[in-house]
Amino acid sequence: MPHLLRTFRFWIGLILGLAAALLYGWVLQPVRVDTSLISLRQDYRTDYVLMVAEAYGGEGELSLAVQRLAALGPETPAQYVDAAIAYASDQAFAVDDLERLSRLARDLQSAPPTPAASSP
Amino acid sequence: MNRGPWPLLVGLLLGVVGGLTYAWAIDPVKFVGSSPAALPSDVQADYLTLIASAYAATGDLPRAQARLGLFPGPNAAETLGALAQARLASGRPPSEAHALALLAADLGVRPSPPPGLTPRAATGAPTASPTITRTPTTRPSPTVTLTPGAPFQVDRRELECDAALRVPRIRLLVLDAAGQGVPRIEVLVLWDNGQDHFYTGLKPELGSGYGDFTMSEGVTYTVRLAESGALVTGLETEPCLDDAGGVYPGSWWLVFVQPPPP
Repeated sequence: MPHLLRTFRFWIGLILGLAAALLYGWVLQPVRVDTSLISLRQDYRTDYVLMVAEAYGGEGELSLAVQRLAALGPETPAQYVDAAIAYASDQAFAVDDLERLSRLARDLQSAPPTPAASSP
Repeated sequence: MNRGPWPLLVGLLLGVVGGLTYAWAIDPVKFVGSSPAALPSDVQADYLTLIASAYAATGDLPRAQARLGLFPGPNAAETLGALAQARLASGRPPSEAHALALLAADLGVRPSPPPGLTPRAATGAPTASPTITRTPTTRPSPTVTLTPGAPFQVDRRELECDAALRVPRIRLLVLDAAGQGVPRIEVLVLWDNGQDHFYTGLKPELGSGYGDFTMSEGVTYTVRLAESGALVTGLETEPCLDDAGGVYPGSWWLVFVQPPPP
C-alpha cells in the first residue's frame, strides 16, 4: 500500500507540474521564436511586397528585390509576389500599386534563376 | 516507510521541467498575424529601411508616414536618422543610408498626414489592406540632388566652448541662398587614416540643414561637402575652460552658405 500511495503522489505531482508548465510556457510566457517576417499578417506581408516593388521601381535592382523577398520565408520570391497580387486585387488596391506588383512579378519570371539570399 | 511529500515534489519537478521543455523548445507557440512592431529589432531595421527605399522611389510621404505609424516611438525622424548613421557605420550600401536620410529629413520639414490616411492595420482592426490608395508621385531617381544654384561656400568657422556639449563635435549648418536649411547634403569627414560621411537633416529638431560628427582628441579633420567641394581643413579639438577652471575639449561650428544669385 505505501508503494501505491507513493506512486499515486508521484503521478499527481507530475500531472500538476506538466499542466502548470504548459500553461506558463504556452499561454502566460510563450517564447517568441517565430517573430520574423514570415509571421506577418497577410495585409502587412502584402504591403511589404508592395514596398519591395516600389523600391524596385526606383532602384531597378532585381537581385536586391529578390533578396528582400527571400527574407519573407521559404517560398520563392515569385510566389510571394503572386500572393500579394491576389490579395491586392481582392482588396481593390490602387491600379498603380497593382502595376508595380505585376511588373515585379513579370521581371522575376523573365530573370534567370538566382540563389536566394538569406537576409534582406 | 512513509517518505512524506517527496514523491509528489519529485513528480511536480519532473512535470515542470518536462512541460517547459516541451512548451518552449519542442513545440513553442507559433505566432502568426504579427504586426511589424512585433518584429525583432534587426528585422525592424530592415523593414524601416525598406519603407525609406520605397519612399525614395515614389516620393509618397503620406504613405511612408502611415507605414512608419505601425512602429511605436515618439520621433520617427530621429529613429530613421540614427538608423541611417548605423547603416553607414556598418558598411551597408550608401543608397540605404541615403534613403533613410531622405525620409528623415522630409519628415522633419513637412507636415504630418491627415488622420484619415492612417492605415486601418495600425489601429489594430482585424482588416485588411493598407487603405492608402493615392497614386504615388514618381521621383526619377533616389540620388542626392543639391539645391540648384551656386556651390556652397564656407561662411563661418568658430570654436565653440560650451560645457553642455559633453563630447567634442564638428557641428555644421548648410543654408541655401534664402537662408533656409538644406537637408540631405552629404558631408565627408576625412582624417589621416580614415574617413566617414553623414547627411544634414538627420536631426530635424536642430534644423533641416544641421549635421554633426563626434571628434576624437588628437585627430585633425577635414570637412567637405560631397558635391560642392566646400572645404574646411585643420579641425581638431581645442581646449576650453569651464567656470571652475577645468579644461574640456571644445567643438567646432561651421556654416556653409550658398551665395545669392548675381
